[in-house]
Amino acid sequence: MSSASLANLSETLAWLAVLSYVVAAVLFGLELAYRVRWVGRAGLAVTIAGLAANVGAAVARALAAGRVPWGNMYEFSVMVGIVTVAAFLVWVARRPAVRPLGVFVLLPAVLAIGLAGIALRVPAGPLVPALNSRWIAVHVAAAITGSSVLCLAAIFSILFLVKERFERRAATPAPPLVAGGARTADRVDVREAVAGYREEEPEPGPSTGGEPPAPPRRVWDRLPSAATLDELAYRTTAFGFPIWTFAIIAGAIWAQAAWGRYWGWDPKETWSFISWTIFAAYLHARATAGWRGRRAAWLSLLGLAALLFNFYAVNTWIVGLHSYAR
Amino acid sequence: MAVELRPSETQPGPTGRPRLGDTLRQAWREFRSMRTALLLLVLLAAASILGSLFPQQSISPQRVTRYFQDHPALAPVLDRLGLFDVFGSAWYMAIYLALLAALVACLFPRARAFARVLRSRPPRGGQLDRYRTRAAFDTAASPRQALEAAAAVLRRRHYRLATHEEELAGEKGFLREAGSLLFHVSLLLLLVGLAYGKGFGYRGQAAIVEGETWANARVGYDAYSPGRFFGSERLAPFQLRLEDFSNAFHDDGTPREFASRLTALDLDGRQTQAQRVAPNRPMTVDGVRVFQSDYGYVPVVRVLGKDGKVLKQEEVLTLRDPASELSTGAVKVTRAQPQVGLELTMFTGLRTAPDCPGGLPFCNDPRLVRPVLVVLPFQGDLQASRAQSVFTLDQSRLRPLGARPLVLGLGQSGKLPNGLEVTFADLKQYSVLTLARDPGVPIVALGAALVLLGLVPSLYVTRRRVWVRATPTPGGSRVELAGLALQGKVAFAGELARLASEVERGTLNPAPHRPR
Repeated sequence: MSSASLANLSETLAWLAVLSYVVAAVLFGLELAYRVRWVGRAGLAVTIAGLAANVGAAVARALAAGRVPWGNMYEFSVMVGIVTVAAFLVWVARRPAVRPLGVFVLLPAVLAIGLAGIALRVPAGPLVPALNSRWIAVHVAAAITGSSVLCLAAIFSILFLVKERFERRAATPAPPLVAGGARTADRVDVREAVAGYREEEPEPGPSTGGEPPAPPRRVWDRLPSAATLDELAYRTTAFGFPIWTFAIIAGAIWAQAAWGRYWGWDPKETWSFISWTIFAAYLHARATAGWRGRRAAWLSLLGLAALLFNFYAVNTWIVGLHSYAR
Repeated sequence: MAVELRPSETQPGPTGRPRLGDTLRQAWREFRSMRTALLLLVLLAAASILGSLFPQQSISPQRVTRYFQDHPALAPVLDRLGLFDVFGSAWYMAIYLALLAALVACLFPRARAFARVLRSRPPRGGQLDRYRTRAAFDTAASPRQALEAAAAVLRRRHYRLATHEEELAGEKGFLREAGSLLFHVSLLLLLVGLAYGKGFGYRGQAAIVEGETWANARVGYDAYSPGRFFGSERLAPFQLRLEDFSNAFHDDGTPREFASRLTALDLDGRQTQAQRVAPNRPMTVDGVRVFQSDYGYVPVVRVLGKDGKVLKQEEVLTLRDPASELSTGAVKVTRAQPQVGLELTMFTGLRTAPDCPGGLPFCNDPRLVRPVLVVLPFQGDLQASRAQSVFTLDQSRLRPLGARPLVLGLGQSGKLPNGLEVTFADLKQYSVLTLARDPGVPIVALGAALVLLGLVPSLYVTRRRVWVRATPTPGGSRVELAGLALQGKVAFAGELARLASEVERGTLNPAPHRPR
């Protein structure tokens, strides 16, 4: 196939991925609202199909350009879609209760790829000399993986904040069941702590049939418990943070190999450092009395804001050495 | 703890007020607490944002100058506050030095506490029914067999064990703290490596014209920034010769590659090395890394007098605009009477009307396909004795010579109205190289590797304590398990349940070689 038709195929597949993610998000939303299991399973199938299209888009793009498919913002966004959705699927495989949260994961992925397809599209072409290095495979791949996983973690943190608020309202007399919220929580009955996500485990039996189950009280009741969401957020951060650290270190090594210096406080470098610092603060907050739970989750949100600013604002508004990565 | 003093050393003050020593101790304890580290991290992030919002002197001095022009009232105030040099400012340094100090201050007590934990045995569990994560089952095995089975299961899962009479205590996850300590120590090591490399190394930029040989000495650099402890007399003794420079573009005019063919020579002129240096392809000579950073054009211009004598023959260094690939420079013919100045604009590929986008009368192809020199002549006083740029003319005492510029292709000549003849004799290129020596690289590399090595277990490994107790019953024994997780609490409930069922299976099928 010619380079041009491969590039076209890549775009078609990217839009197909977006479409699948939208459909899957709707299905997960229905599962969350009405607790119909088969809808969720269908959503999962559509998500996997969408991920396949997404991967196909990246592969076709790589073949069209004859290089790694992460040389500009458009390609970066397509890759972010792949990593975010794949990381979410890993969680679903490990904890089926997480599945309905797909709404909150797929919609950002749709926004990222859709925005890139509309506003950031560039023809598949070769790299500028400054980017033409083996390090692009390492540094940018790590940046994509690290930032996508950290975004996913921040989404869990947002959900934690919402759920925690509802839990606090629902059970005013009892202490909040924030993980590590207080030392005394350790000695509370375990059933309380795990109830939230146990409840979400699909119950075996023929309840998948036509008639809708008991009317839902509130959608937020269907979310996993705050403690579970907090742990999801933490473990996702714990996975993303070392990768993000590695991305920054690899970038510094590349800078040393290409320009003779590790670090120059270029806006991109500065904002990577800012987001790294905020997520480091998040990890410290989780071990600090008075900062666990809600305050830590807000830090995670700030980290997300820094990541988004670093990608969208720094690449388009602020002039720097990374400007060619547009 | 590090600062536990005996009461006798801190006698209470006569008034019962807290003494200064206590206040200081309290402040010290607060300083090395996690909360301080947390606040300093957030502060560091906030301060860094300022550094990205305002133009920085160290990155783009031109933009700082422009900011001063655009905001004449505000800029000096911001400058006072160090906002144009955030990352070198005193207050930024204060934040990160405080962070490093807090880090060091908390590392010592943590390391000591960790060493104590490593030496001690897992403690007793006390009353097991107080724990939120519990499991229990009845088995036909004797209490002792049950505990042996539990010990086997826990050992398989890398628990450290201690037996307290009828109770088994297990603990694991020490790698978390070990990894965390390693991460923080390595972070310091990495910073030490950075500082060492900066202090004992240097960076500089030099421009070499094709065919020229350049000697590595202080005077040879156009820009030179030595580290505080780097003596310029220690510059490695070598020379570089630029054999040739080449640049290539894609069809759409974006750059594809640019490269310098360099030969390194020792001071006697013997060739030691030869390499093609391009972006991402540096060369190392005597411990100095040589990077390709920029390039430009050097038109060779000859000016003949009315009598046919050579007034000037010059390789003119020009400034290249990377956006248009147009280069500009100046020739100063001081020997002409009156003096003549030539303003040069060089096109790499002059194109005219129908080939240009947007109906422009002429434009430039970035590829070196049709070099053309546009010469704008001036006459008068060049004021050559005053310090001035080599790339431009000081036009204050010059007036234009003739109405039209000369347009010269490579090898062509043209006559000025005053009878002088200007020839575009030849075209060379110059290459801008960055030279840098950084003796800190091995330290930084080690630090970076250890940072990652420590970070992963510090986030993944979870601390757990498990207690197993077996009490005799008429049918065998009752086995109780209880556990405490410091991290990953939600997952721990399932973990303990699995542990319990494994132990139960172990008591059903005791190990074939039963000890004692």
